[in-house]
Amino acid sequence: MSDQLMTEAVAAPGMPSARMARMFEWASERGTLIAGLSLSAFVLFIGFVAPFIYPVDPFAIHPAHALEAPSRMFPFGTDELGRDELALLLSGGLATLIVSLPSAVLAFVVGVAYGLASGLGPAWLDRLLMRLLDAVLALPSLIILLFFASLVTLNDTSLILLLGFISWPSLARLVRNETMAQKGRDFVLATEQLGASKFYVARVHLLRVMAPILVVNGTFMVGDAIFALSALSFLGLGVQPPQVSWGSLLETGLDIIALDPWWMILPPGIVVFAALLAASLTGQGLLARWGNRQ
Amino acid sequence: MNDAVLRLENLSVSLPRGRKNVSILDNLNLEVERSKMLALVGESGSGKTIAALTVMRLLPKGAKISGHVWLENEDLTLRDEAGMRAVRGRDVGMVFQNPLAALNPSRTVSLQIEEAYRVHHGGSAKAARARALELLGEVGIPNPASRLDDYPHQFSGGMRQRVMIAMSLACSPKLLIADEPTTGLDPLVARQIMALIGRLRREHEMGVLFVTHDLSTVEEHADAIHVLYAGRSVEWGPAAKFFAHPRHPYSEALLGSVARVGQARLQSIPGNLPEPETRPPGCRFAPRCDYRQPECETGYPPPDINGGTAAACLYPLPVNARPDIFKHVDKLAVARERQLEISHLVVNYAGAGGLFSRAKGFKALNDITLELGQSECLGVVGESGSGKSTLGRAVLQMIGYEGSITLDGQDFSKLSRAQKRVERRRIQVVFQDPRESLNPRMRIKDIIAEPIRMIGAAGKAPIAQQVATLLGRVGLNPEIGERLPGNVSGGQAQRIAIARALAAEPEIIVLDEPTSALDVSTQAMLLNLLKDLAIESGISYILISHDFAVVSYMADRIVVLNAGRVVEVNDAGSIITNPQNDYTKALVDAAPQLRDTNRQYPGLAQENLTGTAI
Repeated sequence: MSDQLMTEAVAAPGMPSARMARMFEWASERGTLIAGLSLSAFVLFIGFVAPFIYPVDPFAIHPAHALEAPSRMFPFGTDELGRDELALLLSGGLATLIVSLPSAVLAFVVGVAYGLASGLGPAWLDRLLMRLLDAVLALPSLIILLFFASLVTLNDTSLILLLGFISWPSLARLVRNETMAQKGRDFVLATEQLGASKFYVARVHLLRVMAPILVVNGTFMVGDAIFALSALSFLGLGVQPPQVSWGSLLETGLDIIALDPWWMILPPGIVVFAALLAASLTGQGLLARWGNRQ
Repeated sequence: MNDAVLRLENLSVSLPRGRKNVSILDNLNLEVERSKMLALVGESGSGKTIAALTVMRLLPKGAKISGHVWLENEDLTLRDEAGMRAVRGRDVGMVFQNPLAALNPSRTVSLQIEEAYRVHHGGSAKAARARALELLGEVGIPNPASRLDDYPHQFSGGMRQRVMIAMSLACSPKLLIADEPTTGLDPLVARQIMALIGRLRREHEMGVLFVTHDLSTVEEHADAIHVLYAGRSVEWGPAAKFFAHPRHPYSEALLGSVARVGQARLQSIPGNLPEPETRPPGCRFAPRCDYRQPECETGYPPPDINGGTAAACLYPLPVNARPDIFKHVDKLAVARERQLEISHLVVNYAGAGGLFSRAKGFKALNDITLELGQSECLGVVGESGSGKSTLGRAVLQMIGYEGSITLDGQDFSKLSRAQKRVERRRIQVVFQDPRESLNPRMRIKDIIAEPIRMIGAAGKAPIAQQVATLLGRVGLNPEIGERLPGNVSGGQAQRIAIARALAAEPEIIVLDEPTSALDVSTQAMLLNLLKDLAIESGISYILISHDFAVVSYMADRIVVLNAGRVVEVNDAGSIITNPQNDYTKALVDAAPQLRDTNRQYPGLAQENLTGTAI
């Protein structure tokens, strides 16, 4: 054991300058978030901006060019009807996002409201709502989806409602449990002592302390909604023809997989994957930034 | 010198903080003699726990140690990690602060004690079990044979600590390190644990290093004292001499900030303990010292050994000085107008019942009748489980109750739910843990503005003005309003909680253990602040605490609760000097600060003080 205290650690070698080191640190700390946000921007660009930059009619049929691999004329190839795959992908993106984003918002709002009501309401309401939740969770959501999808006429609105109403339960349970944990904390009691209503406590205090959890789960829900719509479209119950979605594009490609139309399978597969990854990375990035600051 | 079990020689410790190594403890020299108890005293951040952990070498990764740790004649710093494992538990036993966390909840206590024994001694399971039985008996667990196979949760807090002590004694160590062994225990139990440690050290000729911040326990139980401040020794020597004639200004201030019976005013130490990175070069207490001279800031002062103790100070207090902290003032009983009336209050706690099972409840409060006068401070004392916090919550209308609570002629039990919600505002609350009581995601100015907005004030500028005024009243700068609660100290956070309570313009504030989460010097500042606010604004307090000394300093009248019933009510002076009830007597007895400070105590208290349940 030396008698001298150790000197300070010397800065790691190999860094060109302190500013570079700081930038590197800044980026590495927020790496996940930056990646998530850029990927989200990319997905939103494909869905909302790109269709106007590439103004090719996705439904124009070119029988002479059916099932062609990517070429100068059709950058992403054509499908079995000779439609431009790139135009279909972009148009499908708009159709996918315009349904899945609102449905995620809907599920989010329902989930938060349900969870808060259950957590703050009287004990009997909590029991009732939670048993109801158990019932909903007990049924596989895809089965419910299929059941209702076969009952109602499918358009954007009904799809938003359908997808929105099947994906709220997990968030509702999370919010309810978090409410139960937070509502007995001293700062909530102190606020109630000021004469605050439950509604005020929920709005001003509970939502604020739950913000990290909500943001993170909200982003995950966006991913879930895109995935659910794709799955539904894949089963032929999502966006109705002639309109396509990323899921239905994938389905058509896979239908004729014997012909190996890789250009029909890879692009929609990649964008769905990118959308899920974007939501997940953004959520994880936000969690890392906010989650541990309690 | 020769009979020292433990001797620390120029011990310095530094720990990694961020990228740098920060010095936590500098040149500590101390000695624990055989069969003696040395108290290592300091506020949080003084380095006292680090010193204790250094002996066991249980430091975080990257810690650097220099100097020597002599255990009898061996320098422990020369041992490697494997060698240290042989020392831990065999030569040096350790008792931690929280016995529930230190015991494995999924194993019986006998298994845990046996383990501690067999790790070092080996031997048969049978021999180990016999040893466990012997130890449990020795630490005073009644009927030990029947408790061997119980799990930690089946023991009460005090009994758990006894089990911990039994574990640490398994191999008959030469040295016992007790790190705040009584924190979190009720005063009566705490005193029994300390008496047990005292008996064991004499019977086993074991040295005890007692790490604590509680000076009153030190005064009663320790032979020697060593006071640390910001990582350096401040004053050390025989405990009796220290308490009779403290020499260092910090010791004086620290003693003055502990509430004592009949004390006129607590002494508060201005400023905060410096962070390890910003410790001043000279005497570390200099920036906060009343007797500071320019030369104090140049270097660590050599110890002055003219008095009974050694004090590292250039200008120590005179050798025979009795600081004026020992002066008494008697509280005068004042006739007051009645403000709050509690009559026949009963609180039942319903147990958790399922859909098909009936809930089993219990009576937390039973037929309480009390009153509180205008601008009076009513102290509520009792052990945990006595119902004192429940009483506070009932007064605050946080929980349901039977009976009536009447504030200025208005009976809360007769109000509708909506009216009650508004009227509750007239009674405010300050909780124990200041961090829990502030929303971590709200700015401090918004926290204080919240009640002002709720009362109905409008306009940004007037609210901001009021927030600044309130912050000023609790002794904080308005700039602190921009921060989040995570960026202020515990004492500041508690001031903010008080400011929020004041913002609602209450008539009564319920203080639920307002200082027990704070350091002694911060505690003193806060109690003084509360006293001043009461004088200034005529607010009444209900002060709930297990700390009889704090209550006696603050309260005009004291209520003693036990098992949900009022045991005794009287004015503060009478209850302390002349307790009528046996339970009150035991409580008063367990608070050494309450005794007449000029009296000499004969030796140590006998172990089993009263027949009170542990």
